Amino acid sequence: MIVVVGLSHKTSTLELREALAFDKDRLAEALLRMRQDAGANEAMILSTCNRVELYAQAEDGGTERVARFLAGYHGRRVEDLEAAVYRLGGAEAVRHAFRVAASLDSMVLGEPQILGQVKDAYQAAEKSGTLGGSLNALRNRSLAAAKRARSETGIGHNAVSVSYVAVELARKIFGQLRDKNVLLVGTGKMSALAARHLVQNGARAAVVGVRTMDRAHELAAALGGRAVPFASLREELATADIVISGTGAPGVVITREDVEAARARGGRGKRPLFLIDIAVPRDIQASVAEVQGVFLYDLDDLKSVADANLRERRKEAAAAEAIVEREVREFLDWQRSLDVVPLLVDLRKRAEDIRKAEIDKARPRLGPLSAEQEAALEAASSAIVNKLLHAPTVQIKELARNGHSLEQVGFIRKLLGL
Amino acid sequence: MGSHLYLLLTLAFYAVGALHVVVHAFTRRRLLTTWPVTATLAGFAFHTASLSQRWTEAGHFPAVGLRDGTALMAWTIVLVFLATYVRTRVEALGLAVYPAAFGLVLVANFAPAPEIGGAILKSMFLPIHATLAFLGYASLFLAFTMGLLYLFQERDLKSRSPRRFYYLGPSLERCDTLGGASVAVGFGFLTLAIVTGFLWSHASKGRYWTSDAKEWSALTAWVIYVVLLAARLRDGWGGRRAALLGIAGFTAVAFTFLWMTIFAAGAARASVGVP
Repeated sequence: MIVVVGLSHKTSTLELREALAFDKDRLAEALLRMRQDAGANEAMILSTCNRVELYAQAEDGGTERVARFLAGYHGRRVEDLEAAVYRLGGAEAVRHAFRVAASLDSMVLGEPQILGQVKDAYQAAEKSGTLGGSLNALRNRSLAAAKRARSETGIGHNAVSVSYVAVELARKIFGQLRDKNVLLVGTGKMSALAARHLVQNGARAAVVGVRTMDRAHELAAALGGRAVPFASLREELATADIVISGTGAPGVVITREDVEAARARGGRGKRPLFLIDIAVPRDIQASVAEVQGVFLYDLDDLKSVADANLRERRKEAAAAEAIVEREVREFLDWQRSLDVVPLLVDLRKRAEDIRKAEIDKARPRLGPLSAEQEAALEAASSAIVNKLLHAPTVQIKELARNGHSLEQVGFIRKLLGL
Repeated sequence: MGSHLYLLLTLAFYAVGALHVVVHAFTRRRLLTTWPVTATLAGFAFHTASLSQRWTEAGHFPAVGLRDGTALMAWTIVLVFLATYVRTRVEALGLAVYPAAFGLVLVANFAPAPEIGGAILKSMFLPIHATLAFLGYASLFLAFTMGLLYLFQERDLKSRSPRRFYYLGPSLERCDTLGGASVAVGFGFLTLAIVTGFLWSHASKGRYWTSDAKEWSALTAWVIYVVLLAARLRDGWGGRRAALLGIAGFTAVAFTFLWMTIFAAGAARASVGVP
């Protein structure tokens, strides 16, 4: 049975997740210990900032042992973690694994990182030799389902973080970002992040130093751009396509007159200008938004776009859930059909043995036969066996699919004398 | 099969495409999936068959009168759309093209067949002039669509609240460049259409200019597009003003087309002495 034991952003605080996280460098050792301590046949550990989850293939009672391992590994008592740790087994565990990979259980619905993190976790388990047939099948099917959900629905569409929203808006306005001029006013973390996305898409950056030039030079170097002094802000505005302003200044840094003058001077009055004001208090005069061809977004605007985008994603989530649910069913069917595989193999072998034995017994009494007659004898006896076994084989597989297998497999074995 | 039956099949296929696009626009899903594109291609095949049948039935190029005019207009719009879509993959064009094609073919299906004839329709000028004019109209219709998309999206972006078009349309830049390119192509056809129109008029009536309403509106559209193209090329115009001017130009174009299809049949009737 596949089991999943763990905690996520839904059940625990970041603090607790940090305390129970698994160090990447010691993951291999942890996996081996988990397999041993929890008595699991297979083990995998997914440890990200939003979740710490232990996947295992284990016999009955495996969830409890895995939970004890999770607590024990970090020197905790399992009783203290009751509220945060979920224990899933069988179909529930499988469904959870699929939903996690498809980013349906993520804090930010549809975020793309989780797929890579899940892949890495399976890979680490594979390297440590703790991955077997069951978890490997779970890996293949859940990652395939995740990719399907992502490509066939819009759960991954539309940016939902502020800096990505800024990039997406820039694309919406300019299309290609290649050779667009990005002007950074101030060297804050968020403006640097947004600028990096833009530069990765081919934009050129210039960084305006506000109080000192040191940080501006540093950031400009990191972005492969120029550093310019505050005094030339107005000149730079004339050639900028995208401005990201995030100074800590108490007052307005860019006024409406600045923008109007820049647009008149740049001789580019018709090209759009995208201004992003991520400073609090704001750097850019609000009435700048009224200027023709200028798009001004402050932090609240970016957040509201992010929220709107997230609502779009939630609408898509239902479709993604449906895809995942179908794939989960298929996986569970396949898993159940595995239960009866040994039975079917035994049944076929038994029948084949009987056929061969009976032919061998009768063969001497038939005298010399032509090759054609030999073949006919083989074909006729095989056909009898196949036809007799056809209905039971189909029925047993059907039984397995409907999930009645375990108790009935024993009964069938007894019935057939296997 | 007669042209009318083909046209009915065309209508059915275009209806599938139009319905798909409208539903997907409201649910904000991808506009042009395999289904609507396949339906359009199938519709277009029947449409082509219908037009060629109709040409034989009428004995002249089927571009005159409400029924033939709307059918040919829809066919040209779909043709120009397909050519543009193959190159640019701008799915939002479907938002205007599919309903327009459906609407025009719907009108064509229910409009009475024109009872006109006469030497003027046998002229070699008719197929040449009409083909050029319709290709021009179709291109300018695409430019008009891109202009509207530009304005809607600009409004959304300016107001900082993404709405429907934010999720459906291509970037402003794309709307602008594709709109500009469509205007340039459309203007070329329109110019040639006007020139052949003059020649035809001279050949049939002995006068280049007859002061007809459609001549005035075509000329108005032509002047608007001259201004638009000059402003684009010389002053780097684009964006909002170009979009607005393109929409104004298309209004004149649409008037020319409507005048042609609704009243020109009557005018032609009068000119050849049919009551």
